Amino acid sequence: MTRRPTSRRSMLRTVTGLIAFVALTLNATVAAQGLPAEPLRVGVVLPPETGDPLSDAVATSAASGAVMADEEFAFNAEMLGIDFAVLSREATGADAVVVAAQELVAEGAFVVAGGFSFEETAALAAWSAEEGVPYLNLGSSADVFRNEQCEATMFHVAPSAAMYLDSLAGWYVRSGYREWFFVRGTDPESSAQLQRMERGLRDRHFGARSVGEVALEPDEDPAEAVDRIRRSGATVVVLLLPAGEQVRVLGALEEADLNVVVTGFPYPEAQTRAFYDASRDTASELGSGHRASAWEATLDAYGARELNARYRLRFEDRPMETPAWAVYQAVKLGYEAAFFGGGIDADSVLGYLGSDTSVFDVWKGIGTTFRPWDGQLRQSLYLVKISASEEDPFTLATLVGELPAIYMPGTDPVERLDQIGDLAAVTRCDR
Amino acid sequence: MRPQPRRFPRYAVLVSLVAALALGAAFAQEEDAYRLYVANEYSADITVVDTATSEVIDTITISGRPGEVRPRGMAVSPDGRIIYVSISDFNPQIETPEDKIVAIDVSTNEVVGEFRAGGNPERVAVSPDGTQVWAALEAIAQGAGYDVATGEQLANFRVGVEAEGVAVSPDGKWVYITAEATHTVTVVDRENLEVVKHFLVGNRPRVVEFSNDGSRAYVSAEIGGTISVVDTSTHTVIETINLGLDSRPVEIAVDPTSSRIYVAGGGTSAVYVIDTTDNSLVETIREQMGRRPWGIAITPDGTRVYTANGLSDSISVIDTECLCVIGSIQAGRGAHSAEIGVIPGED
Repeated sequence: MTRRPTSRRSMLRTVTGLIAFVALTLNATVAAQGLPAEPLRVGVVLPPETGDPLSDAVATSAASGAVMADEEFAFNAEMLGIDFAVLSREATGADAVVVAAQELVAEGAFVVAGGFSFEETAALAAWSAEEGVPYLNLGSSADVFRNEQCEATMFHVAPSAAMYLDSLAGWYVRSGYREWFFVRGTDPESSAQLQRMERGLRDRHFGARSVGEVALEPDEDPAEAVDRIRRSGATVVVLLLPAGEQVRVLGALEEADLNVVVTGFPYPEAQTRAFYDASRDTASELGSGHRASAWEATLDAYGARELNARYRLRFEDRPMETPAWAVYQAVKLGYEAAFFGGGIDADSVLGYLGSDTSVFDVWKGIGTTFRPWDGQLRQSLYLVKISASEEDPFTLATLVGELPAIYMPGTDPVERLDQIGDLAAVTRCDR
Repeated sequence: MRPQPRRFPRYAVLVSLVAALALGAAFAQEEDAYRLYVANEYSADITVVDTATSEVIDTITISGRPGEVRPRGMAVSPDGRIIYVSISDFNPQIETPEDKIVAIDVSTNEVVGEFRAGGNPERVAVSPDGTQVWAALEAIAQGAGYDVATGEQLANFRVGVEAEGVAVSPDGKWVYITAEATHTVTVVDRENLEVVKHFLVGNRPRVVEFSNDGSRAYVSAEIGGTISVVDTSTHTVIETINLGLDSRPVEIAVDPTSSRIYVAGGGTSAVYVIDTTDNSLVETIREQMGRRPWGIAITPDGTRVYTANGLSDSISVIDTECLCVIGSIQAGRGAHSAEIGVIPGED
């Protein structure tokens, strides 16, 4: 008996059958676990490089976070037979980010992450509310987005200003710094930070007090501010200024040889090694102090060691900084909402993200949830010490504190994380 | 009349005494002796405890470079005579000679073998026939099997990101490997050496253990605060035991003598006792617990549970009758995992 040669057609039929079988098997697997069957796309609006070193540090970090998230979560999804990808667009400015978000949705994104500035976050928040698209705020900590300008479609991966400021107050007051002086900008966001900080000191740190404040226009000579700080008796100065302005004012304070410690508001740019380097280069003493951060590359617990190590290996030994962490986690939140939320329609995604039973692991060693009253991701924050002399970008800064401390057996984890930031009782958000 | 005490000749007393001692010794020899092994992540050594006395009888140095080399997960051979320890370094993405699995002879506490397991092996499991060791390779998202006799890698499989837990089913058919970052369990058919399924469990799954009869597997999810109960005939999660947000379940010890499982609640300094007949929480042991119990092991006779407490560098001893802590033993720095070895009694 001779075997008939396999024809191309029958071969094709076999292959097609096999593919169909595999697809059916995978779909059955997916369906059996209630997983989405359609392709999953998470959109990220990334800031482009502009030539400014601090802004570019954010852009590079955020883009890397998107790449890593795409690689890892596509890898994970593929295991489960699901087509997953991160779509990204570079855009800057309010109008441009909205156009980018629209394009991402047109390409299939069911959730969009972005916003590293106040204006961009405001624009994306308004767009998401109008279009009904879930939006994850990556970089704006402005409290107004958790209050008057909150949206039911917006969730915040970026910690709020209130969280950062409460952490700074907790760390410094506990260390004995009780006389606070604030150098702020003339913009509403900076004014809101000042009010929140003063309220925090007044309400929660009875031994501490504000001893003065001064407003600075961009590029304004800080001589008068320096003089007022000197006469105020301040022990700690907080720069509620954009990152570049913080570096400039640090230089003036250093030159004046003030006997204070200085920190600043942790805008995304001010949570990068580029900023830390500029800070200590400009002011070797005052610029090598402590900073608040949402993420730290030297965090060595809770699986953070592995996440940080993978990032360094993937991106030529660069430390994982907050923008990269925020993008990575935003993608993960979208991914998990799709996998566990029952669908990728806006209601399912928003419902899953907002549920108090949806617990997220953001490599901070504790299950996190979004606050139902303002959409803020509960999380611990880190205190970082800038090294005065270290050249290695990785150890240029090191982790020295965590607030709230997550290892507190016997306490409620939600209450623990709600030690920082604004609670439901004071929210002005009507979600 | 007052009864008179019976008088025995002196030689009879002596003979009886010798006989009793011999008999006692014979009985003592028949009983297995248990040795508790605790892997200390930061001091790079293994604490060995005689469970009969709760005394540390040995400390096995794994590396002279503590802080660089870290012993973590352990497994015991089916006969209880060999402890396997997964060794890695603190640079997850850098391949170093430290990535290996070592075998310790329980009777001598000597390292009697080692083989390379690149990719940061975090936990290990032994096949029921004792011929293979399986490892979760954390840094490279793989699970791998090794021939114990030769150290040869038999196969390696892609699993989820941050592979952590691994277990071989009692019938030897399946290897389950968890992945922390992806919330997945990967199922490997051990005979055919192929992946048959990936499935989702709770948030940040750490450890997987099979029930004594192999019909169920239990997967702890640290961030999710759950234990997924898996039907191993279909590799499907059939129930989720919710221990509560922030219950932080990590290692699981399956009681060989009852239907209970004991779960170390790392970040909460607690141990959860679950009855698997109805998957109910029987008890939460907190009083006198050491800090951050990460590892947990139960003696083969089911009378004692030991936890490796990473933040207090200690071992808590739990009596399974009272479900309470009855003692604490000094361990090395960063106690991570616990396992029980057996020195068989002589017939």
